[in-house]
Amino acid sequence: MARVVLNDIRKSFGAVEVIKGIDLTIEDGEFCVFVGPSGCGKSTLLRIISGLEEQTSGGIEIGGRDVSLAEPAERGIAMVFQSYALYPHLTVRENIGFGLSLARRPKAEIAAAVKKVAETLQLTPLLDRKPKALSGGQRQRVAIGRAIVRDPGVFLFDEPLSNLDAALRAQMRIELTELHAKLGATMIYVTHDQVEAMTMADKIVVLNGGRIEQVGTPMELYEHPATPFVAGFIGSPTMNLYEGKVARQMGCDTYGIRPEHLTLSSDEGRWQGRVRHVERLGADSIVHLDVPDLGPLVARTTGDARIAPGEALWARPQEGREFRYGAV
Amino acid sequence: MKRRQYLIGALSLAVAFVVFVIPFIFVFLNAAKTAAESATLDFSWPREWRFWQNLVEVVQARDYMLLLAYFNSTVITVGAIALMVVSGAMVGYLLQRRRTPWNRIIYGFVLAGLIIPPAVVPTIWLLQQIGLFKSITGMIFIQCAYGLGFTVLLYRAFIATIPRDLDEAAIIDGAKPWQVFFKVILPLLKPVTVTVIVVQSITIFNDFTHPLYYLPGAENVTVQLTLYNFQSQFVSQMNLLFMNILLVTVPPLIVFVFFNRQIVAGMTSGAVKG
Amino acid sequence: MNLPTGRQAGSAPSHGRGSTAATQAPAKRRGSPYPYWFVLPAGAIFGIFFLAPTLASFYFALTAWDLFSIRFIGFDNFVQFFREPFLMQGLVNTLLFASITSAAKTVLGLLIAVLLTSGIFAQGLLRSIVFFPVLVSTIGIGLMFAELMHPTEGAINLALAAIGIDGPGWLTNPSLALFSVAMVDIWRGVGLATLIYIAGLSTIAQDYYEAARIDGATRWQQFWRVTVPLVRPATTTVVILSLIGGLRLFDLIWAMTRGGPGFSSDVLASVIYKQYQAGFYGLSTAGNVILFLLIGLIILPLAWWFNRKEVEQ
Ligand SMILES: Nc1ncnc2c1ncn2[C@@H]1O[C@H](COP(=O)(O)OP(=O)(O)OP(=O)(O)O)[C@@H](O)[C@H]1O
Ligand SMILES: [Mg+2]
Repeated sequence: MARVVLNDIRKSFGAVEVIKGIDLTIEDGEFCVFVGPSGCGKSTLLRIISGLEEQTSGGIEIGGRDVSLAEPAERGIAMVFQSYALYPHLTVRENIGFGLSLARRPKAEIAAAVKKVAETLQLTPLLDRKPKALSGGQRQRVAIGRAIVRDPGVFLFDEPLSNLDAALRAQMRIELTELHAKLGATMIYVTHDQVEAMTMADKIVVLNGGRIEQVGTPMELYEHPATPFVAGFIGSPTMNLYEGKVARQMGCDTYGIRPEHLTLSSDEGRWQGRVRHVERLGADSIVHLDVPDLGPLVARTTGDARIAPGEALWARPQEGREFRYGAV
Repeated sequence: MKRRQYLIGALSLAVAFVVFVIPFIFVFLNAAKTAAESATLDFSWPREWRFWQNLVEVVQARDYMLLLAYFNSTVITVGAIALMVVSGAMVGYLLQRRRTPWNRIIYGFVLAGLIIPPAVVPTIWLLQQIGLFKSITGMIFIQCAYGLGFTVLLYRAFIATIPRDLDEAAIIDGAKPWQVFFKVILPLLKPVTVTVIVVQSITIFNDFTHPLYYLPGAENVTVQLTLYNFQSQFVSQMNLLFMNILLVTVPPLIVFVFFNRQIVAGMTSGAVKG
Repeated sequence: MNLPTGRQAGSAPSHGRGSTAATQAPAKRRGSPYPYWFVLPAGAIFGIFFLAPTLASFYFALTAWDLFSIRFIGFDNFVQFFREPFLMQGLVNTLLFASITSAAKTVLGLLIAVLLTSGIFAQGLLRSIVFFPVLVSTIGIGLMFAELMHPTEGAINLALAAIGIDGPGWLTNPSLALFSVAMVDIWRGVGLATLIYIAGLSTIAQDYYEAARIDGATRWQQFWRVTVPLVRPATTTVVILSLIGGLRLFDLIWAMTRGGPGFSSDVLASVIYKQYQAGFYGLSTAGNVILFLLIGLIILPLAWWFNRKEVEQ
């Protein structure tokens, strides 16, 4: 029961408008990820949904209720902070039960709720520790536990995994996805990390300069990026994008082709270039070419491809995989 | 350590001993002498140790006035510090967390409180008007008012190190503003609170000037006032005067031994702002 | 190129649509999580017990006020203050006392701090010894030194006599009394200056000294070219704190000389007390106002000047 609807949300800090009119619907139970470059307003938008920041204008509905002016605690949301924001003076048990004890719920009820959450997140043996005595991953779990115990309709996450190392991040990605499946709650998740966005999201919202650039499923964004910005933002290595004269020759303002959609060959193709550098990732190799009249071109090929710097190679875009923006 | 450093150290120690320690030893020795012997004021070993007898005599003097004074000073110190800690921390928190034009004004008052000496006669007049002149209660408020500037600055600096995320997490957990402060922030202020308590208790305990003005009369005597009053009473009994000085020096010494670190932190960080 | 719109699925929205929402909108705007009433307790105490009397003093200073009556007389109190030699003496003494003690505490404090951060033997113990007098009751110190400085029987003069020097009447000689008290004040306060300087010195990275050594700087040059400029924030603090303390000083003077002999060691704070005791409340308050103004006139420009210097660096 927690559909989130944003109506023309705007936010200014002083004279600077950082959120420039956002209309967005996030369906009940959806895992929605906000991505975008640093400073584009992801955190601000999330904080407006949470109620920590007040929008300058516009309305917010959560679960069919207008919460535009409601206190954060009354919105049926919970938030997991990048820094975790665990109360250092309280034990894990007290951290998780803090909100319930503020609400003056009976002790037995709090204990039962904390116990249940702790079991879900495998925190039971840590309940009497202080946050100082926990590892990064454990702190992360406590922060999530503190959110779950509120039984919110909507979970808000602001780059929750960015303080973890790569292995733990991969593991927490899976755990969060499973948690989402289990709880069935709406989740809104802010990240820088494309992999997180692509693997976890039901819906990705790409933000740029305080505006929505595009909304869609991960594969929609990958296959049909609406703008050159989205095209360049989603996908790794990033799409080869060309503007200006080169693009006009191909009949558009901006021309794009993903590295994985180029076929390399030694005797034929559309462009011929010289190999400047080869990044060997094991399963794949990323080949950097210098193409006269075009510029640098990046292509992805198999890990065992026998290519050496200095070699001359042909590249051919695959059928139907080219993007032309502003086509005439 | 090099030989040179030993040498300089030993030399400095000798100088420091003569300059800073001998005066206290002088007091200690004279506090143990008989009245006749201490009257000569010389720096000598007591011929007859009367340390304990002198102590008892000082404590019993004027109907156990010293005990009353210790009691009064303790009440004033505890009361003023309790008020100062809670109200000062609240201001430090607001100043640090909420940036508004008002902050400059509040900050101006804080600095004024640190720099400007109190206007004593008008304060006496005011205390008389509200019936708090010559009262321990009045003295508690006075000491609190005079110590607030220092307290606010110290708390403000410390609260800057507590991430705002904590406040926000508590707000989302449903905490009202006062609950955020009292349940989340205040418990985290323990280290700086210890510093405030230690530094301010020494300041208030050692304060002579303000009790002299605002607490005249024998029933409200404070420790520093006894010293001053006994000075005229003990002219012929220097041993008792020195014993009294010794008794007044002991509490800060104990505090210093146990809270050296907090005192240093408070005296330097509070001072850093000027 | 077609523009994909947001996926509409996820889970079927079988529940109420947003259109009903507006009817249950809460009306009131939210308050800040940091409400202004947090200043009220402190503000009330500070306002009543410090600010109100301070403001009132500007009126009372303009009155002839004693136990029985109060009458507005304009600036007569101030005129009297600058005319009566013994009142003027208090003002001059205050300035003299504050400058001597601040200068000495600053210079000695820095030197002792440098010594006590150079890794000598018993450094920690020495720091404690130098600092301890800061914590001791000023009255106790004053009485103690009054006895030590006794002209004929005091330990100081006895010690001097032992090496053949005829010690002066430290507190009985009118031209010496103020300086004797100043010496005791330096003795008592140099520990705090040292402590602040030690804190300041510990923030100077060792690199600067190493760089200076590589450039061939002598110890003396290192002190003047590295230590003194980089420890400037601590100097600001020491100078300003010592000045404020020196200008306001009352208890030490009162314990040692009560402003005597005659008025030779009176300072503003002791004049204020004496006039209060004599029942001249208006005059006493005028002295208080002069003291604020003096402190304001000295401290504010100085703080501004130090700040500017710091920004320039
Ligand atoms: N309290 C504030 N006052 C003034 N400007 C702010 C404030 N908070 C954010 N901004 C500005 O608003 C813009 C958006 O900030 P926001 O934190 O939402 O970016 P973000 O997308 O989360 O960036 P990042 O990925 O780096 O976290 C930035 O330009 C930022 O400087
Ligand atoms: Mg952010």
